[in-house]
Amino acid sequence: MKLTRYNPSTLTDFDSWFRQPFVGFPSAAQVFSDSGSNRLAADIQEDKDNYFAQFEVPGVKKEDLKVELNNQILTISAEKKQTAGDTEQTYSLSRAISVPDGVQGDAISAKLENGILTVTLPKAEHRKPKTIEIA
Amino acid sequence: MTTNCCNPSPTQQTAEPEAAVMKPRYFVDGTQEAYEVRVELPGVPKEGVSINLEENVLTLRAKRTPSALSDWKTLHRELKGLDFLLRLRLNTQVDEEKMTAALDHGILTLKLPVKEAAKPRRIEVQ
Repeated sequence: MKLTRYNPSTLTDFDSWFRQPFVGFPSAAQVFSDSGSNRLAADIQEDKDNYFAQFEVPGVKKEDLKVELNNQILTISAEKKQTAGDTEQTYSLSRAISVPDGVQGDAISAKLENGILTVTLPKAEHRKPKTIEIA
Repeated sequence: MTTNCCNPSPTQQTAEPEAAVMKPRYFVDGTQEAYEVRVELPGVPKEGVSINLEENVLTLRAKRTPSALSDWKTLHRELKGLDFLLRLRLNTQVDEEKMTAALDHGILTLKLPVKEAAKPRRIEVQ
Protein backbone atom coordinates (compact mmCIF):
# COMPACT_ATOMS: atom_id res chain seq x y z
CA MET A 1 0.00 0.00 0.00
CA LYS A 2 1.20 3.48 -0.84
CA LEU A 3 1.45 6.27 1.66
CA THR A 4 0.39 9.64 0.39
CA ARG A 5 1.04 12.87 2.21
CA TYR A 6 -2.11 14.28 3.69
CA ASN A 7 -2.63 17.71 2.25
CA PRO A 8 -5.82 19.28 3.57
CA SER A 9 -5.76 22.20 1.17
CA THR A 10 -6.25 20.00 -1.89
CA LEU A 11 -8.24 17.27 -0.27
CA THR A 12 -11.77 17.14 -1.55
CA ASP A 13 -14.28 14.45 -0.72
CA PHE A 14 -13.46 12.53 -3.79
CA ASP A 15 -9.73 12.74 -3.36
CA SER A 16 -10.13 11.07 -0.04
CA TRP A 17 -11.80 8.20 -1.80
CA PHE A 18 -8.49 7.44 -3.46
CA ARG A 19 -6.08 8.60 -0.85
CA GLN A 20 -7.65 6.23 1.60
CA PRO A 21 -9.63 3.93 -0.60
CA PHE A 22 -9.92 1.23 2.01
CA VAL A 23 -11.01 3.21 5.04
CA GLY A 24 -13.19 1.00 7.17
CA PHE A 25 -12.21 -2.01 5.14
CA PRO A 26 -8.72 -2.93 6.31
CA SER A 27 -8.96 -6.60 5.44
CA ALA A 28 -9.52 -5.73 1.79
CA ALA A 29 -6.52 -3.43 1.86
CA GLN A 30 -4.36 -6.40 2.69
CA VAL A 31 -5.96 -8.71 0.18
CA PHE A 32 -5.95 -6.28 -2.71
CA SER A 33 -2.65 -4.57 -2.07
CA ASP A 34 -0.68 -2.96 -4.88
CA SER A 35 1.71 -5.85 -5.02
CA GLY A 36 -1.01 -8.39 -5.72
CA SER A 37 -1.27 -9.36 -9.35
CA ASN A 38 -4.93 -10.23 -8.92
CA ARG A 39 -5.87 -6.61 -8.43
CA LEU A 40 -7.71 -4.98 -11.28
CA ALA A 41 -6.29 -1.61 -12.26
CA ALA A 42 -8.81 1.20 -12.42
CA ASP A 43 -9.25 4.64 -13.95
CA ILE A 44 -11.67 7.01 -12.25
CA GLN A 45 -13.20 9.93 -14.07
CA GLU A 46 -16.09 12.29 -13.63
CA ASP A 47 -18.30 14.65 -15.50
CA LYS A 48 -21.00 16.95 -14.27
CA ASP A 49 -23.49 14.18 -13.53
CA ASN A 50 -21.52 11.00 -12.96
CA TYR A 51 -18.40 9.35 -11.71
CA PHE A 52 -16.97 6.67 -14.00
CA ALA A 53 -14.79 3.75 -12.95
CA GLN A 54 -13.12 1.80 -15.75
CA PHE A 55 -11.34 -1.55 -15.66
CA GLU A 56 -9.54 -3.59 -18.32
CA VAL A 57 -10.88 -7.13 -18.41
CA PRO A 58 -9.88 -8.61 -21.77
CA GLY A 59 -11.25 -12.10 -22.31
CA VAL A 60 -13.83 -11.85 -19.55
CA LYS A 61 -17.46 -12.37 -20.52
CA LYS A 62 -20.40 -10.54 -19.04
CA GLU A 63 -21.54 -13.58 -17.10
CA ASP A 64 -18.13 -13.92 -15.46
CA LEU A 65 -18.19 -10.40 -14.08
CA LYS A 66 -19.73 -9.35 -10.81
CA VAL A 67 -20.29 -5.74 -9.79
CA GLU A 68 -21.55 -5.26 -6.25
CA LEU A 69 -22.23 -2.32 -4.01
CA ASN A 70 -22.30 -3.14 -0.35
CA ASN A 71 -21.96 -0.61 2.45
CA GLN A 72 -20.51 2.07 0.15
CA ILE A 73 -17.91 -0.42 -1.14
CA LEU A 74 -17.98 -1.11 -4.85
CA THR A 75 -16.53 -4.53 -5.60
CA ILE A 76 -15.67 -5.78 -9.07
CA SER A 77 -14.83 -9.47 -9.44
CA ALA A 78 -13.89 -11.12 -12.69
CA GLU A 79 -13.27 -14.74 -13.55
CA LYS A 80 -10.83 -15.02 -16.39
CA LYS A 81 -10.69 -18.31 -18.23
CA GLN A 82 -7.61 -19.13 -20.22
CA THR A 83 -7.19 -22.16 -22.39
CA ALA A 84 -3.76 -23.47 -23.17
CA GLY A 85 -3.99 -26.50 -25.39
CA ASP A 86 -6.38 -28.86 -23.64
CA THR A 87 -6.18 -27.36 -20.20
CA GLU A 88 -8.30 -24.49 -18.99
CA GLN A 89 -7.19 -22.24 -16.17
CA THR A 90 -9.30 -19.80 -14.28
CA TYR A 91 -7.95 -16.66 -12.67
CA SER A 92 -9.84 -14.44 -10.31
CA LEU A 93 -9.32 -10.70 -10.45
CA SER A 94 -10.97 -8.20 -8.22
CA ARG A 95 -10.95 -4.67 -6.89
CA ALA A 96 -12.76 -2.95 -4.07
CA ILE A 97 -13.23 0.80 -4.06
CA SER A 98 -15.07 2.79 -1.45
CA VAL A 99 -17.68 5.03 -2.96
CA PRO A 100 -18.06 8.58 -1.67
CA ASP A 101 -21.28 9.95 -0.25
CA GLY A 102 -23.42 11.61 -2.82
CA VAL A 103 -23.64 8.69 -5.25
CA GLN A 104 -27.05 7.28 -6.07
CA GLY A 105 -26.36 3.69 -5.15
CA ASP A 106 -29.50 2.35 -6.75
CA ALA A 107 -28.75 3.98 -10.10
CA ILE A 108 -25.24 2.57 -10.67
CA SER A 109 -24.90 0.90 -14.07
CA ALA A 110 -22.18 -1.13 -15.76
CA LYS A 111 -21.26 -1.72 -19.39
CA LEU A 112 -18.78 -4.12 -20.97
CA GLU A 113 -17.34 -3.24 -24.37
CA ASN A 114 -14.22 -4.57 -26.13
CA GLY A 115 -12.85 -5.86 -22.84
CA ILE A 116 -13.35 -2.58 -20.97
CA LEU A 117 -15.79 -2.46 -18.08
CA THR A 118 -17.26 0.97 -17.37
CA VAL A 119 -19.19 1.46 -14.15
CA THR A 120 -21.25 4.65 -14.09
CA LEU A 121 -22.01 6.10 -10.66
CA PRO A 122 -24.55 8.90 -10.93
CA LYS A 123 -24.08 11.82 -8.56
CA ALA A 124 -26.94 12.66 -6.29
CA GLU A 125 -28.76 15.89 -7.14
CA HIS A 126 -27.29 17.84 -4.25
CA ARG A 127 -23.73 16.97 -5.34
CA LYS A 128 -24.04 18.33 -8.86
CA PRO A 129 -22.52 21.72 -9.55
CA LYS A 130 -25.10 24.44 -9.39
CA THR A 131 -25.11 28.00 -10.61
CA ILE A 132 -26.78 30.41 -8.29
CA GLU A 133 -28.60 33.24 -9.92
CA ILE A 134 -27.94 36.65 -8.47
CA ALA A 135 -31.24 38.31 -7.80
CA MET B 1 5.75 -29.48 -30.39
CA THR B 2 7.03 -26.50 -28.53
CA THR B 3 5.43 -23.12 -28.55
CA ASN B 4 8.52 -21.21 -29.56
CA CYS B 5 7.42 -20.41 -33.06
CA CYS B 6 7.47 -16.75 -32.37
CA ASN B 7 10.09 -14.60 -30.74
CA PRO B 8 9.82 -10.91 -30.14
CA SER B 9 11.49 -9.34 -33.09
CA PRO B 10 14.62 -7.35 -32.27
CA THR B 11 13.33 -4.57 -34.49
CA GLN B 12 10.83 -3.85 -31.73
CA GLN B 13 13.56 -1.96 -29.94
CA THR B 14 14.13 0.59 -32.65
CA ALA B 15 12.55 3.94 -32.02
CA GLU B 16 9.72 4.76 -34.34
CA PRO B 17 8.44 8.18 -35.22
CA GLU B 18 4.97 7.52 -33.87
CA ALA B 19 2.94 7.99 -30.75
CA ALA B 20 3.75 5.99 -27.64
CA VAL B 21 2.56 2.42 -27.86
CA MET B 22 2.72 -0.52 -25.52
CA LYS B 23 3.38 -4.18 -26.07
CA PRO B 24 0.26 -6.21 -25.36
CA ARG B 25 0.23 -9.37 -23.26
CA TYR B 26 0.18 -12.39 -25.54
CA PHE B 27 0.20 -16.18 -25.39
CA VAL B 28 1.37 -18.67 -27.98
CA ASP B 29 0.08 -22.20 -28.39
CA GLY B 30 1.19 -24.60 -31.06
CA THR B 31 0.51 -27.89 -32.74
CA GLN B 32 2.14 -29.41 -35.78
CA GLU B 33 -0.65 -27.99 -37.92
CA ALA B 34 -0.95 -24.44 -36.69
CA TYR B 35 0.10 -21.88 -34.16
CA GLU B 36 -2.38 -19.89 -32.18
CA VAL B 37 -1.43 -16.49 -30.81
CA ARG B 38 -3.81 -14.82 -28.40
CA VAL B 39 -3.26 -11.14 -27.76
CA GLU B 40 -4.98 -9.04 -25.10
CA LEU B 41 -6.26 -5.85 -26.70
CA PRO B 42 -8.69 -4.19 -24.30
CA GLY B 43 -10.49 -1.19 -25.71
CA VAL B 44 -9.69 -2.02 -29.33
CA PRO B 45 -12.55 -2.41 -31.83
CA LYS B 46 -12.32 -4.68 -34.87
CA GLU B 47 -11.62 -1.71 -37.15
CA GLY B 48 -8.65 -0.74 -35.00
CA VAL B 49 -6.62 -3.89 -35.67
CA SER B 50 -4.12 -4.22 -38.49
CA ILE B 51 -2.00 -7.28 -39.08
CA ASN B 52 0.86 -7.56 -41.48
CA LEU B 53 3.21 -10.42 -42.24
CA GLU B 54 6.38 -9.51 -44.06
CA GLU B 55 9.60 -11.46 -44.27
CA ASN B 56 8.49 -13.68 -41.42
CA VAL B 57 7.85 -10.74 -39.10
CA LEU B 58 4.30 -10.49 -37.95
CA THR B 59 3.36 -6.93 -37.07
CA LEU B 60 0.20 -6.23 -35.15
CA ARG B 61 -1.00 -2.72 -34.56
CA ALA B 62 -4.10 -2.01 -32.53
CA LYS B 63 -5.70 1.34 -31.97
CA ARG B 64 -8.09 1.89 -29.09
CA THR B 65 -11.26 3.84 -29.32
CA PRO B 66 -11.27 6.36 -26.50
CA SER B 67 -13.27 4.77 -23.70
CA ALA B 68 -13.72 8.09 -21.95
CA LEU B 69 -15.45 11.11 -23.42
CA SER B 70 -13.39 14.23 -23.85
CA ASP B 71 -15.26 16.19 -21.20
CA TRP B 72 -14.58 13.63 -18.50
CA LYS B 73 -12.13 14.79 -15.89
CA THR B 74 -9.60 12.26 -14.67
CA LEU B 75 -9.52 11.83 -10.92
CA HIS B 76 -7.31 8.80 -10.72
CA ARG B 77 -5.35 6.96 -13.36
CA GLU B 78 -3.82 3.49 -13.28
CA LEU B 79 -4.41 2.28 -16.83
CA LYS B 80 -2.01 3.40 -19.53
CA GLY B 81 -4.57 3.58 -22.29
CA LEU B 82 -1.91 3.40 -25.01
CA ASP B 83 -2.32 1.82 -28.42
CA PHE B 84 -0.66 -1.54 -28.96
CA LEU B 85 2.21 -2.69 -31.12
CA LEU B 86 3.49 -6.25 -31.23
CA ARG B 87 6.18 -7.62 -33.54
CA LEU B 88 6.86 -11.31 -33.64
CA ARG B 89 9.52 -12.99 -35.70
CA LEU B 90 8.22 -16.33 -36.89
CA ASN B 91 10.76 -19.09 -37.31
CA THR B 92 8.31 -21.40 -39.04
CA GLN B 93 6.93 -20.93 -42.52
CA VAL B 94 3.32 -19.88 -42.17
CA ASP B 95 0.64 -20.16 -44.81
CA GLU B 96 -0.29 -16.52 -45.21
CA GLU B 97 -3.36 -17.24 -47.28
CA LYS B 98 -4.93 -19.33 -44.55
CA MET B 99 -4.12 -17.01 -41.67
CA THR B 100 -7.20 -16.01 -39.67
CA ALA B 101 -7.85 -13.46 -36.95
CA ALA B 102 -10.85 -13.04 -34.66
CA LEU B 103 -11.48 -10.43 -32.00
CA ASP B 104 -13.74 -11.31 -29.09
CA HIS B 105 -14.11 -9.56 -25.73
CA GLY B 106 -10.82 -7.73 -26.19
CA ILE B 107 -8.82 -10.84 -27.12
CA LEU B 108 -7.44 -11.25 -30.63
CA THR B 109 -6.95 -14.86 -31.66
CA LEU B 110 -4.58 -15.35 -34.59
CA LYS B 111 -4.42 -18.73 -36.25
CA LEU B 112 -1.24 -19.29 -38.22
CA PRO B 113 -1.34 -22.55 -40.19
CA VAL B 114 2.08 -24.04 -40.77
CA LYS B 115 3.02 -24.33 -44.45
CA GLU B 116 2.89 -27.85 -45.82
CA ALA B 117 6.58 -27.71 -46.67
CA ALA B 118 7.51 -26.85 -43.10
CA LYS B 119 5.57 -29.67 -41.45
CA PRO B 120 7.56 -32.63 -40.17
CA ARG B 121 7.34 -35.48 -42.63
CA ARG B 122 7.94 -39.12 -42.25
CA ILE B 123 9.65 -40.73 -45.19
CA GLU B 124 8.84 -44.31 -45.83
CA VAL B 125 11.78 -46.56 -46.52
CA GLN B 126 11.16 -48.48 -49.70
